[in-house]
Amino acid sequence: MNNSIHIKKLSFAYGKDVILNDVNMSFPEGKLSVILGRNGSGKSTLFNIIAGLEKKYNGSVLIGETERRDWKVGRANSLKLGFLNQFHQTTFPFSVVDVILTGRASFSRFSPNKEDFEAVEQILDRFNLTHLKDKPYTSLSGGERQLVLLCRVLVQQPDLLLLDEPTNHLDLKYQIAVLQTAKELVKEGTTVLCVMHDPNMAYLFGDQFYLMKDNRLVDLHGLEREQVRELLEQTYQLPLISLENQKKWMFVPMLGADRAFDTIAGSAHNAEAKIEMNTP
Amino acid sequence: MIHQLKKLFLLVVLPLLVLLLSLLVGSSQNIGFVELCQRIGLKVGIYIGDHNTVLKDNMDTILWQVRLPRILLTFMVGAALASSGGILQAIFRNPIVDPFTLGISSGSAFGAALAMLFPLLSVNLSAFLFGVCAVGLTYFVSNAGLKTSIIGMVLAGMVISGVFTAMLTLLQYISDPYKLQAIVQWTMGNLHTASWSKVQQAFLPITIGLGILILLRWKLNLLALGDQEAIAVGVNPKILKLVFIAVATLITASAVAAVGVISLFGLIVPHISRMIFGPNNNIIVWANISIGGTFLLLIDDFSRAVMPFEIPIGVFTMIIGAPLFIYLMRRNEINWNS
Repeated sequence: MNNSIHIKKLSFAYGKDVILNDVNMSFPEGKLSVILGRNGSGKSTLFNIIAGLEKKYNGSVLIGETERRDWKVGRANSLKLGFLNQFHQTTFPFSVVDVILTGRASFSRFSPNKEDFEAVEQILDRFNLTHLKDKPYTSLSGGERQLVLLCRVLVQQPDLLLLDEPTNHLDLKYQIAVLQTAKELVKEGTTVLCVMHDPNMAYLFGDQFYLMKDNRLVDLHGLEREQVRELLEQTYQLPLISLENQKKWMFVPMLGADRAFDTIAGSAHNAEAKIEMNTP
Repeated sequence: MIHQLKKLFLLVVLPLLVLLLSLLVGSSQNIGFVELCQRIGLKVGIYIGDHNTVLKDNMDTILWQVRLPRILLTFMVGAALASSGGILQAIFRNPIVDPFTLGISSGSAFGAALAMLFPLLSVNLSAFLFGVCAVGLTYFVSNAGLKTSIIGMVLAGMVISGVFTAMLTLLQYISDPYKLQAIVQWTMGNLHTASWSKVQQAFLPITIGLGILILLRWKLNLLALGDQEAIAVGVNPKILKLVFIAVATLITASAVAAVGVISLFGLIVPHISRMIFGPNNNIIVWANISIGGTFLLLIDDFSRAVMPFEIPIGVFTMIIGAPLFIYLMRRNEINWNS
């Protein structure tokens, strides 16, 4: 099944505030694609459009062959899309099992059957969360909640998984657990599109990288490390140093560069050289 | 195992027991359990075809024409109000909404008063129609905004409620004292007017509504997590929500049309159910039906038996409900997170 995403001439504005301006991009299937960018750059808006939460966009967003706008939620035998939002608040202290079980809601017309319960057991087992099974969801830590919500989305076995800053509020262990899982899912054939803040986490686990810059999406594929660094510097308005670590790229902010970026931008390379000299 | 037994007792045995015992008490005359069994035996005997031992006295009439329909109606109304409160609390993700938040009660009260003053429709039908009409208006008003939010709908409900209450006040102002008395009594809850015909009228809409609710009850868990969380796993929450609101409206309006306004009940019972059985709607929906029916029956038994005159049930639920609710709040056993 084709679950690649093709975006053509996508524009979006909140009133007069232009958020996305003529975005053209294709996200390949079977890859972990990461979208980087600053707060408020339009990453989440793009995410919401692809997730189907925001339908008042101009241009075209094709998932497989279907225009996102025309996609009816809850139709049988269409491609399964799951997403994990940034914010979630719950009112009732449902047990972890009950929360994850709702992920199977599109499968059962009425009450969940044995298969649904088994799927939940399996996913809990996979994440080593079985001990949390009967605990109220509301009593969990932020990281555990995020994992439970991820389980909930995964239990429907989506073909296409969208994650909006899935590592937010998580400690290092959980961050790695979530990204590792995303990577495993990709190996199993899922297409994963992930919005992230931390370029280093992104480069540790991602396959394809995109940067939201000036209301447009820039494909970082095929760029040299230095070119990527320059783009990131411009985006984050910070002098960065690029490194290679375990064959992955890293981008580290330059210390002592707390003055405004534009005064430093020109001398960033010199500064990098200086720091490299200082480190033994 | 013990947990299962507890469930069975609370959800099945206790309601049946209370149903039976409610037949014993009343303002006219209390009867013993043995006598009740005899009378039930006789009644069953008549249906089987044994016409030799027909016992027809006052008590018989009281038992089968007054108490039994009243008990059945009370149970249905209690179950309906509690269930509809449970539905609305789940889909609005708000533990302080109740069946009357969307304007049903004031709409129905206005409808009933209108029919009492201008008898074009029967009081019950008019109450039902205006109850549904009020919810429809609430839904329409809250959808007219840019985005349908929970708060938006509750606020719209308050506004629509206010409008209907104002119109009800107007009707009361222009009506003569006798009709005014009837209107006021109606709005206080009037289980004492129960009859077999009322049971018949309420039975179908309430059982159909509860049937749909029982079938779809698990989906309430999904809706209780929020709209986006439903879309995130491939379910369109809009249709599902509309179905649940329709069910809640149907059963509440039928209950209100039959016995008038019984306030606070639909708010409190879902909390009691959640305290005992936890938040999972797979069980809570059953619990609301059982506990709602049983609890209202008990309250009605008190209002029939404690005083020489009957206290209107709406007053009684408020008087019993308020301290109970405050107690639950203070013990922080109301299962919500805010």
